[in-house]
Amino acid sequence: MDELPILEKFLRKSRKGRLTAESRVLRSKCEEELIMTELNSRTHPLPWWAAGILLGLVQVLAIALVKPMSVSKQFVVADAKVLERVAPEYSENHPLLSDEQYKKFGYGWWFNVGIVLGACLAALHLRAWKVRTVSLWWKRNHDAPVLLRLIAGFCGGVLLLLGAGLAHGCITEQFISGWTQLSLSAIPFTITLFGFGMLVAYLVYPKAPNRLRREE
Amino acid sequence: MSTPIVGLIMGVIFGASLVLAGLTNPDKIIGALRLKDFYAIRTVAVFLLVGMLGTLILDLFGVANFSIKPAVILTVLIGGALLGTGFGLTGFSPATGLASAASGRLDALVTVIGMIFGAHVYILIYPSVVIPLERILNFGSVTLPQITGASAALWVVPIFAAGSLALFITRPREQQYDEQRMRAGDLEMNEVFPFPLSPKPTLREKGIYLKSDCLNAAHVFRQWKNLLFVVMLLCLLLLQGSFWLVSTGQVKIAENTHTEAPAVPGADSIQADLAAAPAEESPSPWLLGLDVTFERLTSIVRIANIMLVLTSVLYALIMYFGLGISFKGGLGGLAYISGALYMALIIFVLLLPWQNFFGPIAMGATYTPGELARWCTTDISDTLGMVLFYLRFTGYWALVMLLLLLAQLRSFRWARAILR
Repeated sequence: MDELPILEKFLRKSRKGRLTAESRVLRSKCEEELIMTELNSRTHPLPWWAAGILLGLVQVLAIALVKPMSVSKQFVVADAKVLERVAPEYSENHPLLSDEQYKKFGYGWWFNVGIVLGACLAALHLRAWKVRTVSLWWKRNHDAPVLLRLIAGFCGGVLLLLGAGLAHGCITEQFISGWTQLSLSAIPFTITLFGFGMLVAYLVYPKAPNRLRREE
Repeated sequence: MSTPIVGLIMGVIFGASLVLAGLTNPDKIIGALRLKDFYAIRTVAVFLLVGMLGTLILDLFGVANFSIKPAVILTVLIGGALLGTGFGLTGFSPATGLASAASGRLDALVTVIGMIFGAHVYILIYPSVVIPLERILNFGSVTLPQITGASAALWVVPIFAAGSLALFITRPREQQYDEQRMRAGDLEMNEVFPFPLSPKPTLREKGIYLKSDCLNAAHVFRQWKNLLFVVMLLCLLLLQGSFWLVSTGQVKIAENTHTEAPAVPGADSIQADLAAAPAEESPSPWLLGLDVTFERLTSIVRIANIMLVLTSVLYALIMYFGLGISFKGGLGGLAYISGALYMALIIFVLLLPWQNFFGPIAMGATYTPGELARWCTTDISDTLGMVLFYLRFTGYWALVMLLLLLAQLRSFRWARAILR
């Protein structure tokens, strides 16, 4: 882990100017090393089956206590709250915002706050809390990484919530909760979600990071 | 406890488990969408299966709180497409985006800001675009069990069984492979590995590569062989079960059917009296809701027959290839695998429905439904007839079963001998 800053420095230097064949080999080795270190330091703490069982039990608990998990609706609620303050007459006549469930911070809102809290605590506990801007796949595929990544993240966020609104729920709500309750709407949702997801991922991230291997 | 506190606690648990599961890492999600890294797919599959089973159990006790989304097919399709685009672009879903931003990812934070903007766009277009679209193809809040009329258990139990079986068969074993590779070539840890791009490997290196390749292939063949064995076992059990159901009169044959297509519609249904039925013939509990008629049984028997013959061909072929691999790679265990190959071939020969080609002179272990109906409806009172009857349906079956088990045992020994 201590070698990481040195490696990063070397890489930054080596990107400028022309390289000899030897330093190119060295550079690729360094890059590989960096990626491997990052991959290893970011590994998930649980094996796949334990993680899946844990998440499944959380879902079962949620269904037993209140209702299946849902996340995306609260973004609309947050916006509705702001609109209520800024433009009261608009939100009074709006068919969606005048609905009672978009007017108060209830279970769902605190659920989202809890997600933020819980994730932060877990990351701190695992010592994985670290400011990062790009993912490895992005680094591998795009030369001007940071700004473009942030722009893409913003556009992706807009699309995510727009889609979630149209589909009556995001991935947690329609895909996970939909399938656990065997609702009909989960089938068309799954088809287009993964169809478009895989297509876009293929277009945006054509190259895989070197030596990316399964680390179960 | 009031609802906000419950929500907060549930949220903390969910967010923490998302981080623990590693789903907050966009690399995992993109790797899954690019089909390069199967960790996230497997995790989510287990998530779904456990959730389904748990919900079913909760439903049985009557404590499940459902919230079914309306099936507005058009908007769900469009929304899924938009969501998928965002998902593939960023590698975050709304939930993992939140959790990821909380664990220090700036790009996730920007994505969350984008999501708030997206919610605003949704509010703006809601009156003019979304409301008209939602009138098209709206099926209301329905579930699959409601549409099909079957109970939820009939959906969940097969999905759970098939899903867990698939996950179990395809479970990752990278580590094992590496160890086997090392052992196959008798390489030691401190030995220098040859540079992988060097032009021509020496003879000894070639041997090592060939051997480890053969071992990998043997691994694959072993998995498929075990899968085929399970399928064959299930088919055989199904055949025998349906024979017992018919011969003990649990399922009644409507007419004396000598043709290949028997069973008048509306044949008598099974009398689901568990107390009266002997233990071994009693149908399993989740079959109880089904209406087992002879007509349905015939289709089951036909499917099982076809599956049996096909899988036995594949089983024998896999044994043959296994033999070839053992031979080529010098892996050993040849005695076991050749014995297993012979048995698999005999099973194949016995299973073929010879009675269709030669009439009553030669018979295969698989029986056609018409044959079953003919045998069961003819009156057998004398001992010889009785013995023949059970020999044909149970004895023959038991022979095939025995051979199958022996073949599996032999090939298991083969696998153990070479993969040890």
